[in-house]
Amino acid sequence: MPLALRDLQSAFVAHLAGTDRIDLAGEVLGDTIPAAARLRVYRHHVRESLSTALATTFPTVQAVVGADFFRQMARDFVGQSLPEQPVLAEYGASFAAFVDGYEAARRLPYLGDVARLDWALNHAFHVPTSGRLAVADLAAIAADQLTALRLVLAPGSTVISSCYPLDRIWAISQPGAATETVDLDGGGAHLLVLRRPDDAAFVDLSAAEATFLGCVAGQASLEEAVTAAATIDPAFDLATSFARLLALGTFAALQ
Amino acid sequence: MQAVAGIGLRAPHLAEVARDRPETGFLEIHAENYLAGSPALQTVERLRQDYEFSIHAVGLSLGSSDGLDEAHLARVVQLVKRLEPTLVSEHLSWSVFGGRYFNDLLPLPYTDEALAVVVRNMQRLQDALGRQVAIENPSCYLGFAQSTLNEPAFLAELVRRSGCGLLLDVNNIVVTAHNLRLDPRQWLNLPGEAISEYHLAGHAVNDADGQPILIDDHGSRVGEGVWALFGEVVQRFGARPTLIEWDTDLPALDVLLDEAARADTTVSMAGRHAACAA
Repeated sequence: MPLALRDLQSAFVAHLAGTDRIDLAGEVLGDTIPAAARLRVYRHHVRESLSTALATTFPTVQAVVGADFFRQMARDFVGQSLPEQPVLAEYGASFAAFVDGYEAARRLPYLGDVARLDWALNHAFHVPTSGRLAVADLAAIAADQLTALRLVLAPGSTVISSCYPLDRIWAISQPGAATETVDLDGGGAHLLVLRRPDDAAFVDLSAAEATFLGCVAGQASLEEAVTAAATIDPAFDLATSFARLLALGTFAALQ
Repeated sequence: MQAVAGIGLRAPHLAEVARDRPETGFLEIHAENYLAGSPALQTVERLRQDYEFSIHAVGLSLGSSDGLDEAHLARVVQLVKRLEPTLVSEHLSWSVFGGRYFNDLLPLPYTDEALAVVVRNMQRLQDALGRQVAIENPSCYLGFAQSTLNEPAFLAELVRRSGCGLLLDVNNIVVTAHNLRLDPRQWLNLPGEAISEYHLAGHAVNDADGQPILIDDHGSRVGEGVWALFGEVVQRFGARPTLIEWDTDLPALDVLLDEAARADTTVSMAGRHAACAA
């Protein structure tokens, strides 16, 4: 009795995940090329094509560890976390957490943060452009109401804070970058990733700015966000930082 | 759309095509690469004003026994409505099961049960789009003992029951026929009036337990055997919009355009040959 289609597909999926299924092999016509070798073509393609997709999404991670190491790490990730839908640019949300715990990369403790930066840049690149908050939008709001305002970060705006100099690690990993070394003890980095009109990019933030934006992202009022930023740096100047962040297009337009 | 050759538009060529606007019959994109709102989608929308487009979906999984992923379908519908392409196509395969996507064109048994599944899914897709979709014959690396139809007969029945069109991939015929020890001329029995597009691509030759197996990797020029069969296909069915597909080890844009020019030459030679034979 041949397998019903749903059972056949279920067995095929188990095969793709690495389980050799005798019932599936029995369904496959073999000749001088045995059924097992034919089935292996598909198992190989699924693993390799998804690893290639991850290399596209995480180019900086690949540049840091090299293509061979990356491919093995990506295969191991694919083995435990398949896409849940067919848009490959949206595959890899949990890759950074996987890299954090990847035993073979234990000597590169910053690698997970590099993956976070790649993912945030990938996410920003793939969000549609949308309206941004501009200075003129705020002119209509009374000064005493500004502090109570709760802003929303524009789609694609992500704050990444790392104990490592992530901006320097990213810079020396770009194609054509000069060979340099980065002092891993040279201090951490706070980055704001943004969708720009034609691409995605990041800028450096101060620690207080990162705290400020983190609070805004958490739906705090401007006043609450400023208070939190001032605990990081008493000299935090809202007017200066806010003007800069506005000019970068950090915030979504008011609803 | 005129029956001329076009090229698959891939991300590394996007800026060059947008800048130089090379002459080509049409551009084909993979739907799944443009479902998010990247700057690439904006570029494609501008190109749409100057080029005919074909949208080739790779992830709808028409052979899924559990039906289509409605969320994904809605995104594809939105893209098609936005770009209003001349052609829309998918594959005779499956790639989704249990909420997981396998990024491959996995093989179906050619049975009545599978036919009913694909007919139902194709009807759902065509209803959602409000237009006809062409289905592409896949590259196969195995055949199932339970199949009761050959692939062309399965496709012909699918066309009859669902009203879909056919995208005949000549490279896939060569790959499948070699791997499954079939006669490529089987596919010349397809209902030619349903064919709306041809695909041409390169394939690799790999080793499977000491035997050569052809792999549809879209990573090289179209093979001579594929060109020869393409000539026969055009003589049998006539000219159609013909795509040069290239996905891995992508060469310079000029190489794709050169292959497209050869496709046009092959079509006109086959047309003359058919006229002489008549």
